[in-house]
Amino acid sequence: MLVARGFTSTCKAQDVDYKAYTLFVYNFMKYVEWPEAQSKGDFVIGVYGDSPILKELQTLAGSKKLKGRTIVIKLLAKPEDCAGCQLFYIASSKSSAVKLLKEQMKDKPVLIVGEREGLAKKGAALSFVTDDDDALKFDINKKEIEQHQLKISSSLIALGTVVN
Amino acid sequence: MSYTNISFYPLKSRFLIFKDFYLIFPFMCQVFKRFILVFALCFIAPAAFSQTDTLKVVADTTQKDSLNYYDMSLEQLLNLKGHDLPTELEKLINSLISVASKKPLNVRESPSIVSLITADEIKASGARDLIDVLRMVPGVDFGVDVLGVVGIGMRGNWAHEGKVLVLLDGQEMNEILFGSTQFGNHFAIDQIKKIEIIRGPGSAIYGGYAEYGVVNIITKQGEDINGVAISGIYGTTQKDYMRRNINFSAGKKINDFEWSISGMAGQGQRSDQNYKDIYDSTVNLKGNSALNPSYVNFGTSYKGLSFRGIGDFFHTTTIDGNSAKLAHPFEQNFNSMFFEVKYIWKVNSKLSITPKLNYKNQAPWETPAGDSTNASYLKTATRSTANITASYSPTRKINIVAGGEMYRDLAFDYLAGDTFYNGKTSVSFHNFAFFTQGLVKTRLVNIILGARYDKHNVYGDAFVPRVGLTKKYNRFHFKALYSNSFRAPAIENINYSVNNIIAPEKTQVAELELGYQITHKSIFTVNFFDITTKHPIVYFFDANAQTDAYQNEKSTGTKGIEAEYKIRGKWGFVGINYSFYTTQGKDRISAYRVTNDSSSLLGFANHKLNISSSFNITKDLSLNLTGTYYGARYAYTSVDTAFVPVLKKTDPIMLLNIFVKYNTPVKGLTIGIGVFDLLNSKFTFIQPYSNASTPGHAPLPAPPREFVFRLSYDLHFTGKKN
Repeated sequence: MLVARGFTSTCKAQDVDYKAYTLFVYNFMKYVEWPEAQSKGDFVIGVYGDSPILKELQTLAGSKKLKGRTIVIKLLAKPEDCAGCQLFYIASSKSSAVKLLKEQMKDKPVLIVGEREGLAKKGAALSFVTDDDDALKFDINKKEIEQHQLKISSSLIALGTVVN
Repeated sequence: MSYTNISFYPLKSRFLIFKDFYLIFPFMCQVFKRFILVFALCFIAPAAFSQTDTLKVVADTTQKDSLNYYDMSLEQLLNLKGHDLPTELEKLINSLISVASKKPLNVRESPSIVSLITADEIKASGARDLIDVLRMVPGVDFGVDVLGVVGIGMRGNWAHEGKVLVLLDGQEMNEILFGSTQFGNHFAIDQIKKIEIIRGPGSAIYGGYAEYGVVNIITKQGEDINGVAISGIYGTTQKDYMRRNINFSAGKKINDFEWSISGMAGQGQRSDQNYKDIYDSTVNLKGNSALNPSYVNFGTSYKGLSFRGIGDFFHTTTIDGNSAKLAHPFEQNFNSMFFEVKYIWKVNSKLSITPKLNYKNQAPWETPAGDSTNASYLKTATRSTANITASYSPTRKINIVAGGEMYRDLAFDYLAGDTFYNGKTSVSFHNFAFFTQGLVKTRLVNIILGARYDKHNVYGDAFVPRVGLTKKYNRFHFKALYSNSFRAPAIENINYSVNNIIAPEKTQVAELELGYQITHKSIFTVNFFDITTKHPIVYFFDANAQTDAYQNEKSTGTKGIEAEYKIRGKWGFVGINYSFYTTQGKDRISAYRVTNDSSSLLGFANHKLNISSSFNITKDLSLNLTGTYYGARYAYTSVDTAFVPVLKKTDPIMLLNIFVKYNTPVKGLTIGIGVFDLLNSKFTFIQPYSNASTPGHAPLPAPPREFVFRLSYDLHFTGKKN
């Protein structure tokens, strides 16, 4: 067995930069408008599924506020725990639940963000994608956003790709 | 930054990596022992310098935190990447290349077995010419044709005449009379930005010169040069100079407008060694084997419209002749001019249409002053090509490319009393082609399907489909490829065809590549290939008619394995690759056959091992070691008393090179000194074919131990780089 330092626990392919994902999530929060009733108190992000982004979101919550609102991160054991969440983050490992979530949260003012590519086509409002050159981008499902009584700014739309 | 804290742990680890190779490839054992002795001390250097990588990562992280990261503007988000800062290796293996698919894909998912060589690697190695660069690629080798011309081989197969396509900034450098490309002090390697190499078939995209491979040379353009650059090389043996070349380039990009001009002029020689012809007559190549390049390359573009013009004037002398050495050296020129106008029309974000016009005018193998021992050859050929290609990406995961191409060849024979097969002093042909390719990227696998159909007015048609499956799964990747390809008979193949009958030779290639990124800084890949060529076009000398002749023969081919390990860091890089071919189980034809060895073909070693390495001693000083080990090769070296050629098995040979590069305190000024063929092994280029009626060409000496001095100066334009 090779025991070079390269074969220690650090050996893996290029790591996903969840800090960059977190920055995108933060901008989603800034450039999406929630209904009046959801615009007060803590801003709650629910993370469904195991993802390293949880730690990064907690770092964000510890250092930034959203328009004066405290950011709170909740790890959700099941989708039903998301009561009070403004943003529902679906980790890659729970991607298959997106259609069910779409039904469960129908008409609720929640922004559903999918970590895995393609989820915006399946019911998430936004989902991440990396280009061939590794540029981090996102897809937008405008219909879903409107259905959840949310408004997305034109400047954010200009950055993403509308998939419907 | 301190370099004094040297850890020996990485040194140990690298020996263990070697040990693993030792187990995988028993053949390599002997070779590695030698290499390890030579290279061992040098591995201390990266051990020391690897400390700096950690420092850099810490610095990057600190910088990320110290900036007001979360307050980045929306526009700045566009610059974010999905993954952490790539290591030097990851930058390389995740580079996008388009040579194998038209649609850019990263190296690990590109649907061919590919090699990517960067300008930094070329500069670090001190490579003297394209032979030094391409020799380091698995499966690539060189042999002698005739008249001092050295051509390329691929995976054991002689590929000199129209079987490996050489592209320079998109222009097909192969001359269209025979399809050949000439190597040795020819191309301006100082101006190369990168070389993308397909080590397998490329006909489904590139047509009839890409049967066994594609060498796609991309030079530095205006944005890369952004100023003026000059460089020179002087190489000498103990007896005489081997090369003295100068290069220049200038270029700039200003908003949407970009221009560049580059050139090269020089003198070189094939060798200073004695050449002993097949009849045991000897002549020294010093002063008798000139390789004098002159070259200019101009390119400009504005938005989607671009123009390129290349003049390539390669003047040589030959005294080695075909079989018997010549009475005196003869001038032999290869002159070519290339022009291209192209417009990339981006109809919308999903569709682009690219019409392209190309024209090339060539006068290869030109021998103005022939005599009874070496006939004059005065032919020119032009090719006018129109191509239109559409690329449509309905989604991010689907890309469809389709297009058509038409060309017309026109050749003239200026030699008094000489004509083509039609009895005239000119001949013309035309060809049209249609091609298409579909690429679908799924979570499970990338699927690529493609095909090209060519129809020539003389030799008929060729249809070459291909299918490929590729995918990268985190650290692991695979490629499963099956391709058809073909060699289009060149003008002289048709002209000298027996009974005016010649058909395209057709090849089927199956390839499987497996790769594993062992660490952030190292990767191992291995591939298996199986090549079968039906009806190869084979040269022979028609003793009755006393003329060159070509005809299709039955079948040939090779199969084998290529393995490569790369490790790369801030300290430098080490690359090791091994290639092996055999003809076991394949049909063989008499021209390429080795009579007493059923696994080998003439001229090319079954086993080849390369090591390339570069160690950054300081920020400005690097030590670069490269080496190639060739297993035994077979050559016809002489004739017996009945004038029957005698086959000889050559001893294995090792070429070692050392080069030191130093970035001087004068900004932009770099100097380098090195020794090539340090062991003075005196490599020879072997003719990879024979024919029954004449004894053929004896091995041609390459330069022996050569001392090289390099100087380059880059002056960047001031102001904002656009």
